[in-house]
Amino acid sequence: MTAPQVRRVVWIHGDSLSVTDPALSACPDAPALFVFDRPFLQAVPVAFPRLAFMYQGVRDLAAHRAGPTEIRVGSVPDELAAFAGAHHAAELHVTRNFTPDFARIVDGLRAARPDLRIIIHEPERLTSFDGPLRRFFGFWKKVEREVLHGEPAPDFPRRGHRQERR
Amino acid sequence: MSDPVRLPPDLPDDRLPRVLGEALAGLYTGEPRLPARAGGRTAGLAALQAWTGQGYAGRNFLGGNVSRLSMYLRHGMLGLREVAAHARAVMRGRERDEFLRQLTWAEFYRLVLRQEGARVLGNLEDPKYPARWVGTLPDDVREARTGLPCADAWVTHLVRDGWMHNHERLWFAAYLVHWRGVDWRAGYALFREHLLDGDIANNALSWQWVASTFSNKPYFMNQENIDRYSGGRWCRTCRAECPFRASYGELETQLFGTQP
Ligand SMILES: Cc1cc2nc3c(=O)[nH]c(=O)nc-3n(C[C@H](O)[C@H](O)[C@H](O)COP(=O)(O)OP(=O)(O)OC[C@H]3O[C@@H](n4cnc5c(N)ncnc54)[C@H](O)[C@@H]3O)c2cc1C
Repeated sequence: MTAPQVRRVVWIHGDSLSVTDPALSACPDAPALFVFDRPFLQAVPVAFPRLAFMYQGVRDLAAHRAGPTEIRVGSVPDELAAFAGAHHAAELHVTRNFTPDFARIVDGLRAARPDLRIIIHEPERLTSFDGPLRRFFGFWKKVEREVLHGEPAPDFPRRGHRQERR
Repeated sequence: MSDPVRLPPDLPDDRLPRVLGEALAGLYTGEPRLPARAGGRTAGLAALQAWTGQGYAGRNFLGGNVSRLSMYLRHGMLGLREVAAHARAVMRGRERDEFLRQLTWAEFYRLVLRQEGARVLGNLEDPKYPARWVGTLPDDVREARTGLPCADAWVTHLVRDGWMHNHERLWFAAYLVHWRGVDWRAGYALFREHLLDGDIANNALSWQWVASTFSNKPYFMNQENIDRYSGGRWCRTCRAECPFRASYGELETQLFGTQP
């Protein structure tokens, strides 16, 4: 196997425990790290089966990819910084999630390793809708066609699915 | 930085509770045990492929054929797109549309989280009734000894299975917030502790939907509703003083102080 031009590592978090995760797919050979977040788990009660379920998710993706996968327990930004350092990585790849913790961890990592380029991949979406949201009903009216038919269809012919199925 | 702890990525299930339990000592609640459903994309794909969606029209009944895929979707082990594609391929008509619509709630809540950020962890709107909620979860609720067979069963399912049917979640949330006067955040925290699908978006926003801080009116049910959708599971033999046995109009006055 030839070494990639840029040394890369992947951060896998609890929203992306699949070998199909966009960041993992972009870097199939790169070392990847999952961290059980010690400060979070010290502060927030979480029952063991939830953590075992996540472990099984990491174990499954580790078995299905070419690159090595590591699991650690600690502070997420600290462990990521150490992991990137140990692998002399110039880039860290991750798939975005919308939790407030994600932004906090990325900021922490940037502060700890200003030289490390953080490449954020976008998560998969069910719809292409990007407007403001308030209630589900209004959202559903805007995305109904796309969801029911499986394709974004701004110019979809005005032949409703309702007619088809009745 | 505390001592680095590393775990091998290939522990077999029979060693998992002991080894992971030791590595995470002091960082979890309850006993180290395997989850009621196995995690991982391989397990998630098997569950998806086995699911035909037949009978999903009865999804509001506890015995209805719901997918139980939420824990895989929660952790990205399955994607919303592939689950939607599967539904389009194997389901038909109204049942398929209904399932795709439910799946779209998950997309909606994720996008609301993207829009609102950490604000989803506080009231997004004022409650739609004069609510005086207390912040702590009562012990009898946490320990499943409220004396109401239905409510105790909901908590037992939550802790034992790490999963509850949507209707059980709705009933439990309404019971806790409207009948017991507990702030929805205490219920959110209990769900986050135990649900295999527990997250921020679906969990906090569903609680807010019930509480009426992210909806136009509070969600509530009565005994008839519980009896019907549970197939009489608890009500038939129940001897408890039932707080739910009344008409919707009566309950509305009692709980929210409004005239029917
Ligand atoms: C108080 C409360 C808290 C909740 N907390 C969570 C949570 O932490 N995580 C979570 O994933 N869901 C949560 N839900 C939503 C819903 O109850 C579950 O997603 C659903 O019961 C999961 O079972 P299923 O996979 O068999 O659903 P199915 O009916 O088979 O639906 C398929 C998928 O569609 C999505 N979906 C269906 N119904 C809803 C809904 N009402 N809201 C959002 N998504 C939906 C889920 O991703 C689900 O897996 C909560 C609901 C309530 C009332």
